[in-house]
Amino acid sequence: MQLPRFIRTLTGRRLDWTLAAIAFVVALLPVYALMPWTNDLSRLLSVPLAPVTHLGMFVRDQIRPPQPRFDPQAPETLALEREVAQYRMLYEQSRLEVERLERSLASLRAVSARVDSPDSRLIEASVIAGDPSRRNGVFTLNAGDRHGVRAGAAALVDGDVFVGVIAPEVGNFQSVLIPANKLPSIGSRLFPPEGSDPRAPASSYPGAVLKPTGRGTWTAEVATSMALAPGMIARLADDRFGRAALGSRIGVVVAVEPVEQAPLARRVEIRPILDLDGLSSVILAVPAEVPR
Amino acid sequence: MRWSVYAVAILIAASLDASVGSLFAVGELRGQFLPAVVVFALLAAPRKLGVRIAMLGGLVADLLSPVVLPTQEVLIVPGPRALGFALGALAVIQLRSLLYRQNPLAGSAATFVFSLLAAVAFVFIFSIRSLVLDGGAPWWPGSGAGEVWRRFLGAIGDGILALPTLWLLGKTRSIWAFTTATRVSPGLARQSG
Repeated sequence: MQLPRFIRTLTGRRLDWTLAAIAFVVALLPVYALMPWTNDLSRLLSVPLAPVTHLGMFVRDQIRPPQPRFDPQAPETLALEREVAQYRMLYEQSRLEVERLERSLASLRAVSARVDSPDSRLIEASVIAGDPSRRNGVFTLNAGDRHGVRAGAAALVDGDVFVGVIAPEVGNFQSVLIPANKLPSIGSRLFPPEGSDPRAPASSYPGAVLKPTGRGTWTAEVATSMALAPGMIARLADDRFGRAALGSRIGVVVAVEPVEQAPLARRVEIRPILDLDGLSSVILAVPAEVPR
Repeated sequence: MRWSVYAVAILIAASLDASVGSLFAVGELRGQFLPAVVVFALLAAPRKLGVRIAMLGGLVADLLSPVVLPTQEVLIVPGPRALGFALGALAVIQLRSLLYRQNPLAGSAATFVFSLLAAVAFVFIFSIRSLVLDGGAPWWPGSGAGEVWRRFLGAIGDGILALPTLWLLGKTRSIWAFTTATRVSPGLARQSG
């Protein structure tokens, strides 16, 4: 195939001038005429250059590092590590806090389902100290008079477990929880573990005044014709501790034995539902209006 | 001259300029390998190929130098450096007979002249472009005069970097297959030999 004549004549200086003219025209083309093809051409050209360019970049970084070398012992590095550790701790703390709040919320919901009074509200108080000298001793809570805590308020855990009452001396920001097994007496009723019969009146279930034994349990003499058996649940039936705590669980009957002096009565021993050693927070029912 | 060797050489030079080029910069004085490679070829290749050799090098430089437009787009403009290199080549070709090629400073000086003229053409083309087409100039937001000064310093850098580059390229002269035509005139010495 023979090339056109004007191409065949493009040699020597004529070719140079032609190329220069083409270059001049292309250099002055508007953007819309160049954009569709020159950028692609550039990208194509950069492909074979990539290995050398990468090698050059590597050499450049070796000769003139882009950033100072990492020094693990540098003061700023140590400071950063401390900050990372601190923020990691805060992160885990917040996660644990969320978990605790969710538990707390569940407890509040469980109790609030029973407390339907506009005059009272529920707050959560954390245990900030225990009695170091004895097991199941008193606990110090981080809620006090400013939070609406009143002496004699019942403390509940897990929604329906009665664990004690607030001691008479309530501080502004803290209070003391007297564990239930330190109370001289607690009025209760004994219900079957499967629950009470809704058709039977509550008074048909035996009442029991629980007295602490000193071993962490309670004992009570129950005069009733109803069958008593281990596993029965003692529920609070004592108006001194407020409406919120009524019906909450206190303990489980672990032993039933006859009383020699009173043939119609039986002595029951009741073990607390919860071991208070691991107590971390309690729910308190306080008046709706908090004094300022 | 082997065009393939030249093509590989300018591609490598352009790659090095794009990667390790910053190592050879002192402020605005920045040297590049590509002009030295082009000048090396210009000094040894046949004169008739000079402009084409230079334009090819300029085209590669154009294709690897995007311009940022006022619309924040990037544009490749082929031509300004190709024309600039062609202008530089015309000067170097004219200088060739005056230069003592064994002197390393001769190549360096030729590179300086080459880069300076290439810069003049480059600034001229882009000035027209920005005036006529209202397109972006590579020196924006700087001024054209500032670009001329920067290019002048760049030409000095090219001349300095040409010293080692031309020396290294001289070691590879055999693979370039330059044809040297030495004019021999008959004389007494030759006849006696």
